[in-house]
Amino acid sequence: MRLTSLGLVRGLIGYAVGLLLGMAVVVVSRLLMGMSVWEAEAAWVGGVFFAVIGFLGGVGALSDWLKWTRGAETPLLHGPPADKPAWTRYFGVDYNHKVIGIQYGVTGLFLLLIGGSLALVFRAELADSGISFLQPGTYNTFLSMHAWVALAAILLGVGGMANYLVPLMIGAADMAFPRLNAFAYWINVPAILTLLLSMLFGWDSGWTAYPPLSLRGPVGYQLVFLSIFSIGLSSILGSLNIIVTMLMMRPKGMSLFRMPIFCWAILATSLIQLTATQLIGQAFLMLSFERTLGMPFFNPLYNAAGENIGGQPLLFQHLFWFYSHPAVYVFVLPGLGIISELLPVFSRKPLFGYRWVALSSLAIALVGFLVWGHHMFTSGYGEYLRVVFMISTLLVAVPTGVKFFSWLGTLWGGRLTFPTPMLFTLGAISVFLIGGLSGPILATTATDLFLHDTYFVVGHFHATIFGGFVFPFFAAIYYWYPKITGRMYDETMGKLHFWLMTPGFWLMSLAQMTAGTMGMRRRIADYDPALGVENVHLLVTIAGFVIAFSILIMIYNLFTSAEIGATAGNNPWRSRSPEWQIPSPAPEHSYARPIAVVGEPYDYGLAGSKYIASMGAGDD
Amino acid sequence: MLKLPQSSTDRKHFVIVGALVLVVTVLLGFALLAILPVKAQSSVQAEPIRWLFQLHIWLIAFLFALVSVFMFYALFVFRRRKHDTSEGEHFEGNTVLEILWTVVPLVLVVIFSFIGLQTLQQTTSGGDDIRVEAVGFQWAWTFNYPNGVTSAEMVLPVNKPALISLTSTDVIHSFWVAEWGPKQDLVPGMRTQLHVTPTEVGEYKLNCAELCGLTHWNMVATVRVVPEAEYTAWMEQKIAEQNIEVVSR
Repeated sequence: MRLTSLGLVRGLIGYAVGLLLGMAVVVVSRLLMGMSVWEAEAAWVGGVFFAVIGFLGGVGALSDWLKWTRGAETPLLHGPPADKPAWTRYFGVDYNHKVIGIQYGVTGLFLLLIGGSLALVFRAELADSGISFLQPGTYNTFLSMHAWVALAAILLGVGGMANYLVPLMIGAADMAFPRLNAFAYWINVPAILTLLLSMLFGWDSGWTAYPPLSLRGPVGYQLVFLSIFSIGLSSILGSLNIIVTMLMMRPKGMSLFRMPIFCWAILATSLIQLTATQLIGQAFLMLSFERTLGMPFFNPLYNAAGENIGGQPLLFQHLFWFYSHPAVYVFVLPGLGIISELLPVFSRKPLFGYRWVALSSLAIALVGFLVWGHHMFTSGYGEYLRVVFMISTLLVAVPTGVKFFSWLGTLWGGRLTFPTPMLFTLGAISVFLIGGLSGPILATTATDLFLHDTYFVVGHFHATIFGGFVFPFFAAIYYWYPKITGRMYDETMGKLHFWLMTPGFWLMSLAQMTAGTMGMRRRIADYDPALGVENVHLLVTIAGFVIAFSILIMIYNLFTSAEIGATAGNNPWRSRSPEWQIPSPAPEHSYARPIAVVGEPYDYGLAGSKYIASMGAGDD
Repeated sequence: MLKLPQSSTDRKHFVIVGALVLVVTVLLGFALLAILPVKAQSSVQAEPIRWLFQLHIWLIAFLFALVSVFMFYALFVFRRRKHDTSEGEHFEGNTVLEILWTVVPLVLVVIFSFIGLQTLQQTTSGGDDIRVEAVGFQWAWTFNYPNGVTSAEMVLPVNKPALISLTSTDVIHSFWVAEWGPKQDLVPGMRTQLHVTPTEVGEYKLNCAELCGLTHWNMVATVRVVPEAEYTAWMEQKIAEQNIEVVSR
């Protein structure tokens, strides 16, 4: 097997060629315009732009579309490539949604490890006061990278769950647009490469990239802007695909209120991604234009009389948060959907208040569009906005409360068992509770003016993201692992992972919040020992390392169990959901025959009830 | 040993859980207040923040107790016993409960909006007996008094309402003396302001609370709150040092 038969390798070559080509285009253009030939920033901007396209061309994500322009036939091939080992299909363009789902999920997990490792480095630095090994410039780059790498990891993890599960859950053969699906995954890869490349130059504004600071720093910023722009494009195209699939490809009898509840969560998530992502794309594009071409969107410029005739720094913050707040719900809604999906299975009871849970996801998504300004309480915008955004933000508590109470209703009176996926589901509820309850204190403006940009906020959103994404994502991995691999993970290692990670995380959250109320600011490379937070920081660091260690146990578990795990059987959890009614691992064509929905999805404990039936050849 | 009822709707469950929620709320409330010491306590504007923070803590304690006690109780009482292969009780929901736990939080939101509005007014208002301009730049501060005095440290008389006018010459910074409570960003091209009435004599640190580049962590200035006589003396000395002709305000 030749190395270049791997799509990924061809993509990397395409990236390198594109980089050089793009730089050459910039150099030649500058030469023709009579400017100084080499200007690093312009060259890199041109370079990475062409590099991303080069990668997509090299990997083959554009091939079928290019063939269409010539009117050539492009059959949808199924199954692993004939002349290569089966694993190679994961390293190239493949149109099966289950392959793409795994590609998303594994890439997301990989990025989670990188993002987490970056955090461990600066957590070690913060374990005591004084600068010991991480210089402030590097520290700032690391904390900025930690955020975007982790956020990219989450977006990919969400993409993984949605891609793998939604078509299976609604009994669809695949996604509506398989080529678009593959493209939406593969554009992430050069984007991630570009993001990691930005570390060579550094950038120091945190993920928020507020101008004017982000207009001044090194070239690293430009790479970040282009990377996030590409990942955003992936979000938009992926969510479009999901929405169409969900609305158009459900089987006979599956009304929206008979979908597995996870689909509702993904529907709400996709609506946000489809309509809000443009704003961050635009905001970062404007920053890029302002840096490269000097267009004054955000940086103030003064005339002789000292009046501002240039841009407005606050404009950026509005654009940025109009996406970046709803994005938080993109991160957590799928996870909350996982919680709602798994609780009935391990309680052997119907989901309490299905319709309320389903609609609460939509309600969170809609209210989520109206709260962005709570990130700007201290920004200096009009006094009136401090009131409006306080009230809209407090409203988020209502649909979120509905979810919590409905989960309790689901547990109540069940026959509960506690294998690893259930433990992580319960862990998710406990951690999301910490994140959720520390929210209103930041929503009321007066308390936020004190807590804004402190470690209290750091504690709050890490609890939200871990409870809303990381814990449910791990629950999902353990839960669907048998469906993906056909084998069982190791239960002892799974439980060890849980019992290290969960108390570790509780401790970390609370300690971060304590540091915040004691006056510890966010995003600082060093702190004053007089604050008295050294012991608290040491606790946070130790807890962070415990969490990291527990995640390594999971990775080891996932790798070894794929080889030596016990055979799982088709439906080890006795779930009613369609994907568990087919063989494990899920076959190339998921459903041999179309399915029809004949009952409610969560009627556990109702004798004789059925959710789906397989349709015979004559049925229609 | 307490014998627990089998049916999930037995009133006995709810009596036990209700009692546990009360106990846990009280214990948790005091525990949280102990591990979350609010540093803001040396200005008039810090008072509403502390008060609202504590109100939140008690609500958090109650809601945390409510959800976690119900959850842990259910995990214990409704766990599957050995050799039990039955399914859970079949109920799909309860519309009255759903409406209740939508409306009650909605009422709480209205109440907290009202309280939030009042505390916001209190924490962002005050007089302007003393006026100072604070200018932030990478990575230091300068303070300008209306009489022309310029200083690298900020000195304010105790118990006198001060209005601090804020601006930045380069990137966004944020003015924060933790002991005073609220913070306020400094935005280039804009002028923002912060009211503070310091209530305790002492030396404080003014920190930048918005990441502003390389040595953001060390963008710090000393703030001294002194008795009024000392303030007047300091101001006279500065005027003499800087050779300023005093203009009356």
